[in-house]
Amino acid sequence: MEGRKELLVGTVIVFAIAVAVVGTLWLQGTNFGNPTTQVDVLLESVGQLSEGNPVTYRGVGIGQVSSIDVEPGGQVVRVGLLIRRSVELPADAGVVLGPESLFGDWQAEIVSRESFPRFDFFDVPIGSSADVIGGYALPEITRLTASAEQISDNLADLTERMELAFNQETANNLATAIANIEAITQEVRTLVQQQGVIASNITSNADSALTEIELAASAARRSFERVDGVLAAAEIDSLIVDLHAAASGIRNLADDLSDDSTGVSATLTRADSAFVRVDRLAARLESGEGSLGRLLTDTTFAVRAESMLLSLDMLLQDVRENPRRYVRLSIF
Amino acid sequence: MHRSLAPVHAIGHGALRSVAAVGRAGYLGMDAVRALRKVKLWGPHLLSQMTRVGVESVPIALFIATFTGVVLALQASYTFTGAMPLYFVGTLVGKTMILELGPVLTGLALSGRVGANIAAELGTMRVTEQIDALEALAYDPVAYLVVPRVLAGAIMFPMVVVLANALGILAGWGTSLALLDMSSPEFLKGLRLFFEPWDVQFSVIKSISFGVTVTAVGCAFGFHTSGGAAGVGRATTQAVVISSMIILVLDAFWAATLLQ
Repeated sequence: MEGRKELLVGTVIVFAIAVAVVGTLWLQGTNFGNPTTQVDVLLESVGQLSEGNPVTYRGVGIGQVSSIDVEPGGQVVRVGLLIRRSVELPADAGVVLGPESLFGDWQAEIVSRESFPRFDFFDVPIGSSADVIGGYALPEITRLTASAEQISDNLADLTERMELAFNQETANNLATAIANIEAITQEVRTLVQQQGVIASNITSNADSALTEIELAASAARRSFERVDGVLAAAEIDSLIVDLHAAASGIRNLADDLSDDSTGVSATLTRADSAFVRVDRLAARLESGEGSLGRLLTDTTFAVRAESMLLSLDMLLQDVRENPRRYVRLSIF
Repeated sequence: MHRSLAPVHAIGHGALRSVAAVGRAGYLGMDAVRALRKVKLWGPHLLSQMTRVGVESVPIALFIATFTGVVLALQASYTFTGAMPLYFVGTLVGKTMILELGPVLTGLALSGRVGANIAAELGTMRVTEQIDALEALAYDPVAYLVVPRVLAGAIMFPMVVVLANALGILAGWGTSLALLDMSSPEFLKGLRLFFEPWDVQFSVIKSISFGVTVTAVGCAFGFHTSGGAAGVGRATTQAVVISSMIILVLDAFWAATLLQ
């Protein structure tokens, strides 16, 4: 009976201790029976990494973080990784520490440095063991959040300034400026077109001028050739004599014209005075002065004059037919 | 005494009784410490007490832990679905069982089973003057009766709690596989995610304190029982109630001191 009690108590104790020890090691991620090797990683900081966090390579869990210690001097952190010995790491291996999920759990991922050229992996001192590699810790979410908050503040500030600067008046000014720019652009376009036409005309004029210059040069060349011919034929003396005679004739002609012009001048003066009188007469006629003027302007006068002439004709007719009525001839 | 002063009188009486009980418990504890050197007196009884306190308590502790693990997994899934990855079910089951529910529920259950048993046994011995007979025979009743029980509680409680923790986690794991459409890697990922070896040590420290508390309180109330059979029943009830309260106070105390 006593032996049975001892067995029961011993069994419970041994089993409980075994459960506690083995369970703790198992939950820590200890690989029972799998040979492991130690790899040390040097970094400037480790973020939220803690002992027991998983180590992955190409997404596969190959071990766990076994130790985290600050190196003497306080500038470097050494992280011990316990990984499966069968895993062959790349020659340029680096370790990236980062969140495994959005819930704060971190991991150490062994990567090829070529795949992450922008990451500033820690430079392992020359002469270190081959099992020491450099690492890089991604920024923590709190730092990213702080940066995002700062960016948000800047955006809010910028937006506020935009609201202050871009009011209705500014919008109207901008619209006016845009309209002005559009008008200026149109004018510049028109000006350019006109300048183009002018340039085209200038070009054509220049072409024609060049053509005429060319023709003039040809004519001049021919004239010079003729002059050369004349000089060569010794006709210049007779030509000068002829020119002298022609000049004398022209002088005489000019004198005659001068005399004639004097007479013409007097005639023109008289004609002017005659025209002045005619104008005065015409003015009086238009204003209805005198009998002739009244005759031209007053129709009643003309009718009466016509009536008088008719009466006069009738009187003459009556005198001619009955002279005795009007002429009495008596001798005594 | 005037009738209007009766409540004040009752309060004073209760306070004095409480202080006296604490004083008697303190004396008993000092006697127990002194009695530790009397190994020949308590040594032969330790094994039988370990069997009573530990081995015979394993079934009820495992029963409680099993269903606690099942409920934890289901409630965690109910809480996390749509908000967090389901592998956190493993995290919650593991952390909660090891840090809190394993030790506390086991302690509370054993306070009813073990503490009441000890209080009733020693109380009966007291009211039937068996303890007085031991003293008359020059036996140290504390070394003979109290020390093996308290030592058995201190040794066996952690064992029971470790087994309860393990079975509770296994039950949560099985529930996750069977009822929550989770895979074993998922559950184990969550289970290992925030696991620290210190969690197990914390659980063991708590369970030792609970074991000492349950057995010592049972011994104290039983050892100072008076009033015949009614006094035995009263002592038993008080032992269970007081040990349960002390377990909860200790739970908060250890959390405040060891998890900072």
